Amino acid sequence: MNLPAGVEPDPGAALLVLYDTALPQVYGYLLSRCGQRALAEDLTAEVFLAAVEAVRRRPPPDVSTAWLVGVARHKLVDHWRRAEREQRGLRVVQGLPAEPDDPWDERLDAMIAQQVLAELGPHHRGALVLRYLDGLPVPEVARLLGRTVHATEALLVRARKAFRETYERSEGRDV
Amino acid sequence: MSDPFEALLRPPEAVDPDPTFAARLRARLERELLDHRDPRGTRMSTSSTTSTPSAPAVPRHGDVGYVSLRVPDVGRAADFYQAVLGWRYAPGGDPRGRQVQGLALNHGMWAEEGSRTLWACYRVDDVHAAVRRVREAGGRAEEPSREPYGTISTCVDDQGLSFGVYEVFGDRPAEVSSRQGEIVYLTVEVPDADRARAFYGSVLGWEFVPGNVDQGWRVRLGGGEVRPMTGLWGGRDRAAVVPMYSVEDIDAGVARVRAAGGTSTDPERQPYGVTAECADDQGVRFYLGRLPG
Repeated sequence: MNLPAGVEPDPGAALLVLYDTALPQVYGYLLSRCGQRALAEDLTAEVFLAAVEAVRRRPPPDVSTAWLVGVARHKLVDHWRRAEREQRGLRVVQGLPAEPDDPWDERLDAMIAQQVLAELGPHHRGALVLRYLDGLPVPEVARLLGRTVHATEALLVRARKAFRETYERSEGRDV
Repeated sequence: MSDPFEALLRPPEAVDPDPTFAARLRARLERELLDHRDPRGTRMSTSSTTSTPSAPAVPRHGDVGYVSLRVPDVGRAADFYQAVLGWRYAPGGDPRGRQVQGLALNHGMWAEEGSRTLWACYRVDDVHAAVRRVREAGGRAEEPSREPYGTISTCVDDQGLSFGVYEVFGDRPAEVSSRQGEIVYLTVEVPDADRARAFYGSVLGWEFVPGNVDQGWRVRLGGGEVRPMTGLWGGRDRAAVVPMYSVEDIDAGVARVRAAGGTSTDPERQPYGVTAECADDQGVRFYLGRLPG
């Protein structure tokens, strides 16, 4: 049931009010995860346009900064998925068997870690960002990636291995 | 031993984007928001609606959450339903589709060659579990994909009827309305009602009580009505979902259908209201209904 137009709070106006405070949060989240300014801008625009779509629904969802960052995370996952699909077309897929995780005792250098993440394939990078930068539990990562928990754990094992190999190479190169 | 990866944890920090980008994006949002602000004002008639006041309720597992008209020519369909029901459409977007504005039940249109039916998408609690049940019940289901509004899987039932199941990120209240242009009743037509009862009972938790016509069933959910109210009708040549759109004046509605190039029976009084059976100018069947509010 709709109230008369003048009485109903306008969720579109509320979104514009929220825009100034939410924009740096959404952009900051995306920039720190994808590391590319142009891409972060594109994804930020996608997030707010999705919010416009959402407030068109009757009744609209409760749009907050946290809600927008949640949408941003989904946009990032979609981006990695697209990137992965494109890359998969270019190379022969080699299914690495899931190996037991090799414990690694190392204090990670944050700067090198960022570079290493940028060098990884989209699926490895996505899994590591959600699990470690965002600090999400594995089942939540699985839900976001549309995989089972078991498949996500296996993916994380491979992603950590890929990260470690690249990291150790980078360290040797840079230190 | 501590996990070195834990050092990567990085709570989001605010970063001011380029001011030009920020201003451009704000202008775009303002434009998009302004464009959609008028549907209430341009509704064909708002003076004597038949809407039934009801408390908003959260859509339940098994309710219809979204419908889309799948027709060869979307532009033609948009014109037809605008003339008949007064629909307005969200600006922009993919030219192959339309989004009807201001309806309680999300209603879209999508261009699909050879298709002349309504496509219904049902709300479920767990889309991955629903996909398993579809497959176990003899249907087909695509792997769920993530969209801005939730996670969705496109499915086909065991009698060839295409539908969708989706799970939303957060609950939002559902609205029930019988204003002009709203869907007030859906008929799921199938060749075999018993098979459909087994399939949708398993997939969506639908329950069925005998209806008014032979092989007709009223669909129930947790002892109440499915939203919108839905019936199952067996013994039909082919599977289809046929909507009933609410109109305030059934005679005028029938006249508009005919004037817009569609066909319609003369209005008939039924136990639940006055209805007419119609087809649009591309052959999509639907009903018009004037139901007591």
